[in-house]
Amino acid sequence: MYSSISTAMVVGSAGHAITVEVQVASGLPGFHIVGRPDGVVREARDRLRGAFYSSDEPWPKTNTTLNLVPATEVKTGSALDLAMAVGILVADGQVNAADVRGLAFIGELGLDGSIRHVLGVAPMVAALGPIDVVVPSASYLEASIAAHGDVRVADDLPSLLAVLRGLRPWPVPPPPPPTPLFDDPLDLCDVHGQQVARHGLEIAAAGGHHLLFVGPPGAGKTMLAARLPGLLPPLTNDRSLEATMIHSAAGLPLPAGGLVTRPPYRAPHHTATRAALVGGGSHALRPGEVSLAHGGVLFMDELAEFQPSVLDGLRQPLELGTITIDRAAVRATMPSAFQLVAAMNPCPCGGGPPGACMCSDGERLRYARRVSGPLLDRFDLRVPVSRPGAADLLDGTPGESTATVADRVRAARAVAVERQGSLNAMLGARRLDQYAEVDEAAKTLLYDEISAGRLSGRGYHRLRRVSRTIADLRSVQTAEPVGVVGADDIALALAMRTPLGASSSGWAA
Amino acid sequence: MSGFVAALAGFDKMTVGRLRMLLDHLEPEVAYATAAGQRTADGPLADLLGRNADLAAAWRASAARRDPQRCAAECRQLGIVVVTSLDDAYPAALRADPWRPAALFVRGDLAGLQRRRVAIVGTRNASQRGREHAARFATELTGEGVTIVSGLAKGIDAAAHRGALTVAGAQPVAIVGNGLDRPYPRSNGTLWAEVAERGAVVSEWPPGTPPDAFRFPLRNRIIAALAEALIVVESRDRGGSLITAHEAAKRDVAVFAVPGGLDHPASVGTNALLRDGAAPATESLDILIALGLDGRRAANRRYDPRAQPRGRDQQVVDRCAEGPCTLEMLAGQFDRSLGEMALVVARLERDGWLRETAGWFETLLGWDPT
Repeated sequence: MYSSISTAMVVGSAGHAITVEVQVASGLPGFHIVGRPDGVVREARDRLRGAFYSSDEPWPKTNTTLNLVPATEVKTGSALDLAMAVGILVADGQVNAADVRGLAFIGELGLDGSIRHVLGVAPMVAALGPIDVVVPSASYLEASIAAHGDVRVADDLPSLLAVLRGLRPWPVPPPPPPTPLFDDPLDLCDVHGQQVARHGLEIAAAGGHHLLFVGPPGAGKTMLAARLPGLLPPLTNDRSLEATMIHSAAGLPLPAGGLVTRPPYRAPHHTATRAALVGGGSHALRPGEVSLAHGGVLFMDELAEFQPSVLDGLRQPLELGTITIDRAAVRATMPSAFQLVAAMNPCPCGGGPPGACMCSDGERLRYARRVSGPLLDRFDLRVPVSRPGAADLLDGTPGESTATVADRVRAARAVAVERQGSLNAMLGARRLDQYAEVDEAAKTLLYDEISAGRLSGRGYHRLRRVSRTIADLRSVQTAEPVGVVGADDIALALAMRTPLGASSSGWAA
Repeated sequence: MSGFVAALAGFDKMTVGRLRMLLDHLEPEVAYATAAGQRTADGPLADLLGRNADLAAAWRASAARRDPQRCAAECRQLGIVVVTSLDDAYPAALRADPWRPAALFVRGDLAGLQRRRVAIVGTRNASQRGREHAARFATELTGEGVTIVSGLAKGIDAAAHRGALTVAGAQPVAIVGNGLDRPYPRSNGTLWAEVAERGAVVSEWPPGTPPDAFRFPLRNRIIAALAEALIVVESRDRGGSLITAHEAAKRDVAVFAVPGGLDHPASVGTNALLRDGAAPATESLDILIALGLDGRRAANRRYDPRAQPRGRDQQVVDRCAEGPCTLEMLAGQFDRSLGEMALVVARLERDGWLRETAGWFETLLGWDPT
């Protein structure tokens, strides 16, 4: 007897529809899985046998062959367990083929017959198309946001079979978890003083600029960076769905509503491997931090402490907004459009006010060179952060709150999008001349900086992009449109690109 | 003859004391032959070699490696003159010194040492202000006909040499701790060549000697012995310049220290020197008076080509002269927006009044040595 059941697997952050074909035919007892199963899928035989035994279902006594279609791709993951079990039962004549028509099954089986949640339910369900899908109740929320058909729940094999045999109705799906009041514990008003750094954060949020904080340990770089997502607007529908798929594939808990709507914030440790950052694994490719931060903020503390090869992996996502992982057997492309925020010390000892540092020029230069020039070039903003003074720390008056700043950011983003259809960080050289004209005083200032050798060609364009955002924020604050970028804006942008490396030469201009 | 000295000075296990023992009592040829084991030693040298079989063996092996003629040719090629205490060119200030070097390898002209001599030393990790002060003292003192002696290290030493070289007719003298075949640190290569061209670069070690750490304290004693007054511009709590100061104090050379802020790490050593009795150096007149020179000309203000800042800009320059400031400190103090203040500091930076280091602004005194 033959059966054919729909299910799915996940590679990277995308689901792939799979059909499980089962044939229970005459012959010597045997159990074969074909269609390039990986280790996890091959082990399904033992899980299935245990589950059948616990559920008092007979294990086929003759030759059983399972074919996973399409047969040329490597199959991975335990999500196929349930579909394989149902397929065997149908092929063995224990369940009517008509009762499973129009149903797909996703779930892992336990030896006790229970059905368990697996990673990546959302992308898998999305890949199945208009078909009803059966998942354990722990997967219901994820499945329901991506499903094109109905979502049914079943928590163990005996009760699922009872439903399929018409002995019981489908169980009621679990109620959605209560939505907690949105309450971000990280508010910008916790940051005392730090005017320049706060302003840098606001500019980064308003213009979508990648941001590098440079300052000694204890200056509050991490604290500032963690408050950037709060300043960003919620994700668009597309972004939100993409981010949700990635979170599901990585097994991260989804927010109460099911969809990831707030910009995510990811802060990998500097010991992270390349695979952890960009994603990887042998053939069950898992999304890395760059994809988990899709639509949000990737914060890399101690940037210079990351392995150079790990940092190198950031180039493609920064350029294209996607990351492609190639292995011999599989390849996956995952969305990874994030805003990069990094922090580093100015030198190995941590730095501080001039004279406090014990490092020689050579040491400083070597330290700064650990971050490659091309990556450093991506940062429109290099904001100096210093330790807050005692007066600022003891001062009880809170700084501006996230809500106030986020309002300005939203308005400034609207100004930019209305003018040129994109954020200022996306402005290329030609569009800069069109949309970010500078006035005469600003030109003089730029001329002086360039002729003094403090500003390179690339630095010049970054400076103009940032000054455009500063001008936009100014226009929001004064409620007057600022058409031409002024000398103030350029000067402030200059203050937001502190040199790295040797104390005086500023090689990384 | 110089070949024998150069060969001998480069022997393994050769020390300052042993070289002096050899060269003070024997002709260089004889000293070389004795050390090489080709002649029987007598007196204290026989004692030394008799007590220490390893030493005799090491010297014999070194003699096989170091051919006097080749050493002489190497010195000639590099333009190095070997000066021993028997030569007229040997600095008078060193002759009476109990720890005098037996031989000096010189590139350039030691004529500068005929004049009054002031040594300027300090930390290699100097602050911008420290370098400026070193350059200022060097320029002003050189202008008064004083020769600047220093060590050609990074930081204060380099700034002092640069400051001295800005004056026409300056003949600064640099005492270094490695062989003269290769500048150390390499980044000072140009400065090294310029000092050798106009004054002299001096080492007590032959060409090919690496810059080992132990040679620098020994080099410092020569600086101290050559100077009539020593200025320590900046020093950390255990800096090599404190060794120079100590050596100077042993020789009754006047020690000056530039006072610095109590919380300034690069001034911990100099402040300790002041506590221990060094004289404060606040302007070059202090040193000129100690040397008994007329300092009236030095007190004249130098012409400053920078455009004078006006009004509030001047206040910002003054504020940054009190100590490094960040942009937000300045904006807060003068009640300006960040943008306005950024414009002010950008203007002052362009005109050469301020310099930024990692977000901190410092006032430049106009003596920038770089």
